[in-house]
Amino acid sequence: MKLEIGNFQVQKVEFGKTSSYKDGTLTINKEEALAVVFEDEHITDADLVLTKPGDDVRIVPVKEAIEPRFRLNGGPAFPGVTGKIERVGEGKAVALKNCSVLAVGKHWGSFGDGLIDMSGEGAKYTIFSKLINICLVADTDEEFERREQQKKNHAIRWAAHRLAEYLGSIVKDMTPESTETFELGPITKRDEKVKSLPSVVYVMQPQSQMEELGYNDLVYGWDTNRMLPTFMHPNEILDGAIISGSFMPCSSKWSTYDFQNCPTIKGLYNEHGKTINFLGVIMSNLNVALEQKERAGMFVQQIASSLGADAAILAEEGYGNPDADFIECFRVLEEAGIKTVGMTNECTGRDGQSQPLVTLDESADAIVSCGNVSALIELPPMGTVIGELDALKRDGLSGGWEDDEKLGPSVKEDGSIIMENNSMFCGDSVLGQSVKTMREF
Amino acid sequence: MKKGILYLNQFFGQIGGEDKADYAPTIQEGQVGAGMLLSNLLEDAEITHTLICGDNFMGSNEEEAVEKLLGFLEDKEFDIFFAGPAFQAGRYGNACGVICKAVKEKFDVPVISSMHKENPGVDMFKKDVFIFKGGDSAAKMKDDMTKMAEFGNKLLKGEKSEGAEAEGYYHRGIRHQVWLEDETPAVVRAIDMLLKKINDEPFTSELPIPELETVPVAPAIALENAKIALVTSGGIVPVDNPDHIQSASATRWGRYSIADMDKLDNRANGAFKTIHAGYDPAAADADPNVCVPLDALRAYEKEGKIGSIHEYFYTTVGTGTTEAEAARMAQEMIEHLKADEVDAVILTST
Repeated sequence: MKLEIGNFQVQKVEFGKTSSYKDGTLTINKEEALAVVFEDEHITDADLVLTKPGDDVRIVPVKEAIEPRFRLNGGPAFPGVTGKIERVGEGKAVALKNCSVLAVGKHWGSFGDGLIDMSGEGAKYTIFSKLINICLVADTDEEFERREQQKKNHAIRWAAHRLAEYLGSIVKDMTPESTETFELGPITKRDEKVKSLPSVVYVMQPQSQMEELGYNDLVYGWDTNRMLPTFMHPNEILDGAIISGSFMPCSSKWSTYDFQNCPTIKGLYNEHGKTINFLGVIMSNLNVALEQKERAGMFVQQIASSLGADAAILAEEGYGNPDADFIECFRVLEEAGIKTVGMTNECTGRDGQSQPLVTLDESADAIVSCGNVSALIELPPMGTVIGELDALKRDGLSGGWEDDEKLGPSVKEDGSIIMENNSMFCGDSVLGQSVKTMREF
Repeated sequence: MKKGILYLNQFFGQIGGEDKADYAPTIQEGQVGAGMLLSNLLEDAEITHTLICGDNFMGSNEEEAVEKLLGFLEDKEFDIFFAGPAFQAGRYGNACGVICKAVKEKFDVPVISSMHKENPGVDMFKKDVFIFKGGDSAAKMKDDMTKMAEFGNKLLKGEKSEGAEAEGYYHRGIRHQVWLEDETPAVVRAIDMLLKKINDEPFTSELPIPELETVPVAPAIALENAKIALVTSGGIVPVDNPDHIQSASATRWGRYSIADMDKLDNRANGAFKTIHAGYDPAAADADPNVCVPLDALRAYEKEGKIGSIHEYFYTTVGTGTTEAEAARMAQEMIEHLKADEVDAVILTST
């Protein structure tokens, strides 16, 4: 399978009469873009707000991030989401790099939403501080979940996906500034030199904990809670086959942007043919019942063994209950003689003294750790807030609180905040960007 | 100039050898023996007093020894506390750990010691004390004292620890996130680790698997007359959540009467719901008994399988809640459970 992504490095985004791209400047006709947003009648209010790295800006509640993309062979950028089901990962697509579309609640936040500071001390906590962000700030008529802590955020997330595809379409007829090519042939048809290298699979455990549909990550529009582990081509993941959900505490979340740019897939591609034979991706999940965890682990072990994997990288999107899936999967891969490295974050508590994962096993002897979800963070006020700051304390965001005996509310009167890393938007970057680790003190 | 106090045993306190191991605690002004070395190594501080106690005295009369030693310190001003180095001497290591822990708890100053890795005091006190990796005998006195002093200087200047590995003390089981100076992304670290693992080369996991602390299963009890309590970390609360228990990272718990109830009524009927944010609430909101099985337990009660059900159930939220907070809340619950003569607890999660 061969995928060519034509890249356009966006240096500046502005509003203008005609949506266009020239010399690094993306111009957006706001009315036209918002028309795409309002295609869903459940969107009751929407605006686009632009912000760039260095701005004195705080964004909250952020529900999703997407890289603007357009597929040149006619299919949807996000099959099963913005269009019909059609296989992706092959052919040509264009991408607007250095920017992302953020889905931001105009008022209402939920458990899995996050916060981004575009400058200052807070900017080090998430890679999205380093991107130009096109914020879709919207409200909806989804009254059934208005006061719920867990929200599907369906209308605004889908609107953001449509918007990302619309923005991608701006460059569909232009010659890309650079092209990335991802090509990985059928496993049994590779040349002898490649086949002689250690074979590696990437086992991904995307978020699937909610039994009710609508909250979990989707693979080709299909809820990951309702799937068994399956084998996927890495290009499918880079090309929009999977979108993020609306459930997990935010620092552990893998946004759609993260999937589209998955650094571990790119890293394994770089090593392919040099040090390893990259077999592909085993897409597992993180269902809550023990039997489901054991069944998923069994499938992962079988697929990896049947493919002849010598080694694996294993990554979980979450912490707490999902740690059990992570450790179980680690254990069964090692049991099958597959040398495994795990990637995760930890929950060691505000004081750092809790057990790092809820369950541990001696077989998990090689782990890359990307952060502490419960680290306490205090940040000064920012000049402008995109969204609504009170959501952090009011709406049950995983890292915020209404009041606390010792710490007071998460949002202070002057706009300064105190929160757990849990609500830093995709802050722990377990898909590979994280420059954080965990250290003994 | 800041002030430090040093603890030594009878030998390094120049009282005598094994024959003086029963030496009762004393305090001396100024520095004794290696205390002078430590004082010289401190940059903007001096050792103003030295505590001395025989190793056997501490070993056999720990409570009395600690009380006396803490008593000596009550009217002293000091910013930092040192003990040892204890090298490989087991009783001395224990004494250094005991007094450091007690001083930290009472006076809230940094406490620093040094021991050889074989010293049993390391495992006993590494969580409570900065214990530096020391030599196995007094021949290493200067090296060990220097490590203790350098770290002391750092803390006295208000600087932060750079971590157990960088500083040279034993892991305390305290893990925090840090930003790597060279900004090596996780993917590069993972692939590097994978290649080393594939090639059977040594690698270092970023999450060493700690020794697991397990709780032994309690001996069985006779159920016919037992009073059973229900305790949950599944977040079942009255619909108005009167104690404001948090939905994640909980620090609060509540207990609510279930006397005269056959089962827990549900959210729709304005009775109980779950506030736990770590699982799909639909099933527990519709029927809270799936989380707190009062209905099933009442059936057992009627059948005579159990004696009675305690009139309250206890509840908090387990998701993201740290071990330390969970242990504290459990201790607080246990006081009530014991006062009400509960024989056994059924603990349910989610």
